Amino acid sequence: MILPILWILGSAAVFIFADRFPERVRDQLLPISVAVILCALWSIAVTLSGTATFPSPTDTWVGMVELIESNRIWGDIVASLHRVSWGFCLATLVGIPLGLVVGWNTRTFTALNPIIQGLRPISPIAWIPIAILWFGIGDGAGIFLIFLSSFFPITVGTMAAVRNISLVHQRSAMNFGLHGMQLFRRVVLPAALPQIITSLRIALGVAWLVIVAAEMVGMDSGLGYLINDARNAGSRYDLVVATMLVIGVIGIILDLLIRQLERFDEVRWGYARR
Amino acid sequence: MKNDNKPSERNGERPKVIFDGVSKHFQKGKESLHVLDDINLEVRDGEFVCLLGPSGCGKSTLLNIAGGFEQQDAGRVTIDGEEVDGPSSKRVFVFQEYGIFPWASVWDNVALGLRDVPKEEREETVQRTINMVGLAGFERAYPMELSGGMKQRVEVARALAVSPDVIYMDEPFGALDSLTRLTMRSEIIRIWQQEQKTILFVTHDVDESIQLADRIVVLSARPGRIAEIVEVDLPHPRDLGSPEYGVIKNRLYALLGVEHTI
Ligand SMILES: Nc1ncnc2c1ncn2[C@@H]1O[C@H](COP(=O)(O)OP(=O)(O)O)[C@@H](O)[C@H]1O
Ligand SMILES: [Mg+2]
Repeated sequence: MILPILWILGSAAVFIFADRFPERVRDQLLPISVAVILCALWSIAVTLSGTATFPSPTDTWVGMVELIESNRIWGDIVASLHRVSWGFCLATLVGIPLGLVVGWNTRTFTALNPIIQGLRPISPIAWIPIAILWFGIGDGAGIFLIFLSSFFPITVGTMAAVRNISLVHQRSAMNFGLHGMQLFRRVVLPAALPQIITSLRIALGVAWLVIVAAEMVGMDSGLGYLINDARNAGSRYDLVVATMLVIGVIGIILDLLIRQLERFDEVRWGYARR
Repeated sequence: MKNDNKPSERNGERPKVIFDGVSKHFQKGKESLHVLDDINLEVRDGEFVCLLGPSGCGKSTLLNIAGGFEQQDAGRVTIDGEEVDGPSSKRVFVFQEYGIFPWASVWDNVALGLRDVPKEEREETVQRTINMVGLAGFERAYPMELSGGMKQRVEVARALAVSPDVIYMDEPFGALDSLTRLTMRSEIIRIWQQEQKTILFVTHDVDESIQLADRIVVLSARPGRIAEIVEVDLPHPRDLGSPEYGVIKNRLYALLGVEHTI
């Protein structure tokens, strides 16, 4: 009890005296101190409630070490990432070209947009029974579900990006005689690219959310399965929470990786005014 | 030609751009918006003509028709006797908002209309045009790294690079601060004198029109009609304090129906 309270006081002090630190240090220190406060509150709550099942931060840490040392978690991480990367890449390969065509060609847009908008609100989770029916328990179903959950954000985002190309830019292109592939390569694609990258980012985030849920219900490996397994095999909630933290960290890393796409000269203009 | 008062005939030059009875209305739901009414105008080769009128009177619409971006209801526009029936790089726009591509460097923007030109000639033209608008050294820069005035210079360079017959400018300096605007005006006059292009320049700014134009076409409020064509017979560079300047200014304010003194 004493230790967490000291941690809270220490973090509060960082908060109060934040101005004394150089800006770079402060930007790191502030979120860290909030995390420390949350862990301390968590620890206090566990102690006060007297629970025997819910893990304290220390229990979770020990669980994390156990997972890592037992090597078990690496296989599950690879399984989840494998499904996400295949599903996401396939969705990118199909979604971007489809979105570009549907966004640019008014007739195709009129024909396909209602269908796309109608399928889009169906949660990928709702597809799980069908995925298992078609692909069985395993990677195929996972990849299919990730494909679905990435496909709609990517297609719809690309479509919107193309339809948002400003009139001045379209007219500039017409004025200087651009048409066909040249129009596409020099105007349509570069104009849409920043928003396409944003949609990829959103899609990857959704994919990472969905894979965990899918693995909990319909697969026999992966981080989602690990959570379920830890609970079923003797209520190991320390492992449950440790796995959740791992999922969070990998999510952050995936987002950081995909954000690198935003740094190219050709797309930086699209994020400048935010 | 029927009318011997036409400037083209008086100066013994062939007319470059001819607006012949151009009318236009827009349909907004059930409402019909009459925007342009029987516009007749001849623009000489190498002439700098300003279209001056209140906001919403149809200046941009008229320019868009002349550029082939909008279709008129009646009448026709010809350039060198050829009817305008769509956009073409023989007549290029310098747009009101920034029309240059933010995803391309200054160099690539200026080279946009020169795709079919042999490499050596293209590079020579692009460099010469970039130098002409005073952007030497910024060839590799992206538009987001440039000031508003510099972006508009890129846009002017992009238009000049294709050696068009006519340049259309739709309030090109409207978004710039007033000092940059003045600089850009004298720059555009310098380039115009050097290149001898025909320029149609839309503005709602009385001073801007007197500083730039050979002739000012004053449009009435909607539906836009030509109220009067005012000659500005002053040599460049123009003295903004001269009595002639003041006379023209008063005349324009009277035509636009506003009092000059406040
Ligand atoms: N595509 C369009 N559809 C309907 N109304 C339009 C369209 N373009 C312009 N207008 C209307 O026509 C009038 C003239 O517009 P515009 O030519 O842009 O005027 P200006 O450039 O002189 O300010 C305005 O009232 C505008 O709202
Ligand atoms: Mg306008």
